[in-house]
Amino acid sequence: MITAAVLALLALPLVMLRRRTLFAYYAIDLATWLFAWILWRRVPGFDPGVDFYLGFVALAILKLTTFSIFVAVGKDVRWSPLRAAIAAAIVYAMVIPAMVREHTVIDGDEPYYLLVTESIVRDGDLDLANQYRNLATSEAGRTDLGPQTGDPTGPDGQQYSRHEPFLPLLMAPGYAIGGLYGALATIALFGVLLVRSTMRWLEDEGISDAAARAVFPLFAFGPPVLFYATRIWPEVPAAFFFVEALRGMREHRAKRWLPALLGLVLLKLRFVLVAIGLIAASGRRKLVAIAIVIVPLLVMWLASGSATSVHSWREILPAPGERYVTGFFGLLTDGMSGIPFQAPFYLFGLAAILRWKNTPRGFRMGILGGSLYVLYLLPRPEWFGGWAPPLRYLVFLMPVLALGAASIWDRLSPGAVAIVAACTVGLVIHGVAYPWRLFHIANGENAVGEWFSRMYHADFSRLFPSFIRENAAAWVGVGVVVLFVVLIGRIGPIGPIGPIGLIGLLLALGFYCALQPPSRVEFEDAHVIDNGAQLYPDYYTLMRVTYRGGKVLNAGNSLSFLAREGEWTLHAITGLGATFEIGPNTYRIEPDPRYQTIRVKIPRSGRVALRCSSGAINVDRMERDE
Amino acid sequence: MDRLRWVLAAAVSAYACHLAVHHTTPIDRALPLLGVLATVLAAVTYPAVMLAVPVLILAEIAVPAEEVRLLAFGVIFAIGLIGPIGPIGRIGRIGLAIVLVVLLRWIPLDSVLWGRELFLLAIAVLIVLVLGSTRFAVAVAVITALITPAVPLRTLALPLVVLFVCVAARVFGMPKIELRWVSSIALAFVTLFFAWSGIVARAFPYFWRRAARPMPRVEIAQALPPRADVTFEVPPNAHALIVSGANVARLRRGTPLARVGDAVVRIGDAADWGYMRREQFYASRNPLPRDAAGQIRGYGYAAWVDGAGRIALPAGARSVRVVVDASLPAGAALQVEGFEIAPR
Repeated sequence: MITAAVLALLALPLVMLRRRTLFAYYAIDLATWLFAWILWRRVPGFDPGVDFYLGFVALAILKLTTFSIFVAVGKDVRWSPLRAAIAAAIVYAMVIPAMVREHTVIDGDEPYYLLVTESIVRDGDLDLANQYRNLATSEAGRTDLGPQTGDPTGPDGQQYSRHEPFLPLLMAPGYAIGGLYGALATIALFGVLLVRSTMRWLEDEGISDAAARAVFPLFAFGPPVLFYATRIWPEVPAAFFFVEALRGMREHRAKRWLPALLGLVLLKLRFVLVAIGLIAASGRRKLVAIAIVIVPLLVMWLASGSATSVHSWREILPAPGERYVTGFFGLLTDGMSGIPFQAPFYLFGLAAILRWKNTPRGFRMGILGGSLYVLYLLPRPEWFGGWAPPLRYLVFLMPVLALGAASIWDRLSPGAVAIVAACTVGLVIHGVAYPWRLFHIANGENAVGEWFSRMYHADFSRLFPSFIRENAAAWVGVGVVVLFVVLIGRIGPIGPIGPIGLIGLLLALGFYCALQPPSRVEFEDAHVIDNGAQLYPDYYTLMRVTYRGGKVLNAGNSLSFLAREGEWTLHAITGLGATFEIGPNTYRIEPDPRYQTIRVKIPRSGRVALRCSSGAINVDRMERDE
Repeated sequence: MDRLRWVLAAAVSAYACHLAVHHTTPIDRALPLLGVLATVLAAVTYPAVMLAVPVLILAEIAVPAEEVRLLAFGVIFAIGLIGPIGPIGRIGRIGLAIVLVVLLRWIPLDSVLWGRELFLLAIAVLIVLVLGSTRFAVAVAVITALITPAVPLRTLALPLVVLFVCVAARVFGMPKIELRWVSSIALAFVTLFFAWSGIVARAFPYFWRRAARPMPRVEIAQALPPRADVTFEVPPNAHALIVSGANVARLRRGTPLARVGDAVVRIGDAADWGYMRREQFYASRNPLPRDAAGQIRGYGYAAWVDGAGRIALPAGARSVRVVVDASLPAGAALQVEGFEIAPR
């Protein structure tokens, strides 16, 4: 895998660079290999525990970054959407093995899509009953799979998947040729087509070559497109169909947009909302809209006997207002699933919305077309995407946001671009080196916060905005992101010094603040050191986000955490009754089937131990009474 | 206005780095200085280089392993140097030379000999100007400054000689030499290990060599005088004897130190334990041991490696006889530090 990656990295510049730019690239390439070699020889002497795989991934991504910089600002660049697609193909081919590396299995909906594909290829049907019985023969590598709650069943014991069969159908030829890798290659092929279509679309919409070249790597090699193009999800094919539909509509070519829209709605039923929005935004006929709604329902009914699968018509009724607020601001700022923390480049696309009248028509059509879908996404309990890589439900919209970003590229601060690019590099290194960490349980923390929290045993997670488990940083985050977007969208380019200096200062201040004892402790969080306590509910509990609870302590178990001095309120539940100690004080809590609040006192700021001396108690959180 | 902005940026960088200091080594404590240097580097080359400041802060808080963190600082500065490979002006070159000399020589700050360092800085700037403010000129100036111990005072003659040669070369028609790539790589290499710049300066090959993984040792800690004849029992799995010299810094390469088993151990196989200290290096004639087993001590320009060498033991040996050479000067000794145990 590493040899292939090295060869790919050497071949990549040949696709797009030439003459002096190519020479300069290879000179830097040689220098970085030299320095990487020196480090490789030296580092074991310093720290034998260093993760060399991570080091290699970091090196490869840094080389990809160097290539991207050359593509963006180089003088001798052979630029065309086709070349961009070839470059993307090389990169995706390089990343796929990393995604299914040893000990890494496909996860979330992916194994189910693969099971359906296997069923199509091996049995010629959609019945998964025999697949579930013989999981050892599946290339999914998952023997723990079973039908999901509410999956459609047939009259003769057939067991169908809740997932639409169109994606498995698309993957079937690839799977038949190359198994799991063939299926992944099919998705990557859609990724390549997506890159080509998007770059062609940028050209069609009058975006300059310079802007397109700058946007291309951030779009094609950045999250979420890179991760979804190298895993088995319908999001990247959907994005491709969406772009094709938009291009077709802009060109008034029904032969392009109609099949593209059909492909989109067949991939996932939820994309019907996109299709309706798009048809409405483009002023197309209502008859087409009705047909677009009916076709996927019909296909699903024929395939599984249930037109709406696990969905219900009630889902289209309006939800309470606050859920829209949570979903909207969550997607805007959440540390685990928000755009700034998972795909910061697309903040530029959001900023473009503020320059609505000056944006390309395709951008406006795309945003309007996706609005209905986003409106229905916001109030859903899984607005963050559920058990999937980040921004799952918005991937199809990324080409549109990329177009928006490209349309205001000349107005962007170089400092903001540098910061966003650096963050993107970090996210890609993390996602490629540790693909399983692309999945994060919805607990109000994110990977970075957890990592630092564990390292310092201090609550770093509270500094990251969370709308999954709303915290104080959430609304501060909203303010910062809105300010950032408005500054970019409405004010002209500003120098790089201010934004970069500010980021440095924010990082340092954040670090300083995170080390201080907090005023709120969530007991399930990574910074809490537990001695025998058990997480509640279990980590992989379905829709875990909807449960309260944190850690269950039996007699003798304890928790240790940082906290400020003062009066606190402890939220806990106990069915047995419990006696526990916090610092020098002992408290008794009586059995009750409901959650109770207990006033406790922490004598001085610093590390505190909560110890259960008798009974058992499930502690949820503790808040300081201000 | 632009300069004021950069001064402000440097102040903010220094404050941010000061807040982020978490670890206790002199390099970590010098983080505010590193922040200022990165800002100056950005000011004189490309503004995007300022990204080094948040990345330095991130490395400080995210990498707990000391050596890896310090190496990460070096990587950040090396990228900052290789990255802006494009043309920069005369002020940029001078600024680059000043930043690098300060980075390589002024940490730890409490061991800086201010008068000598400022003199050296001035000579470095003059070398850059005389050689036509090219990247090659920066490399010559910085490497000259780096290898000048400045202790004792007369070693400051070295940069003066280099300056004289440069002036003479220019007077006799030497053209401006850019050598952009070679110079940048040389500068990036010395910057990569700036956290141990003293070792780069005084034992250049050390960081070129493959590092041995740290292995456990069975301590002996005996200083054997000339003519001493001692037999040590070899512990299980021991593969090498670690030895160094005491008061042998003035001996030249090849001078015999002792016989270990059948092998003759010479200067070059081991060296005086403290020969690489900045204060002793000028008077020393010892080279870096071929298979250096010394530990890195100190940081920045004060860093050095003790002169221990690894002497391979015959396979399966149960005991090893060490006979110290009779010709060693009075007061000299062979220090048998211990056996190194090979991992199973």
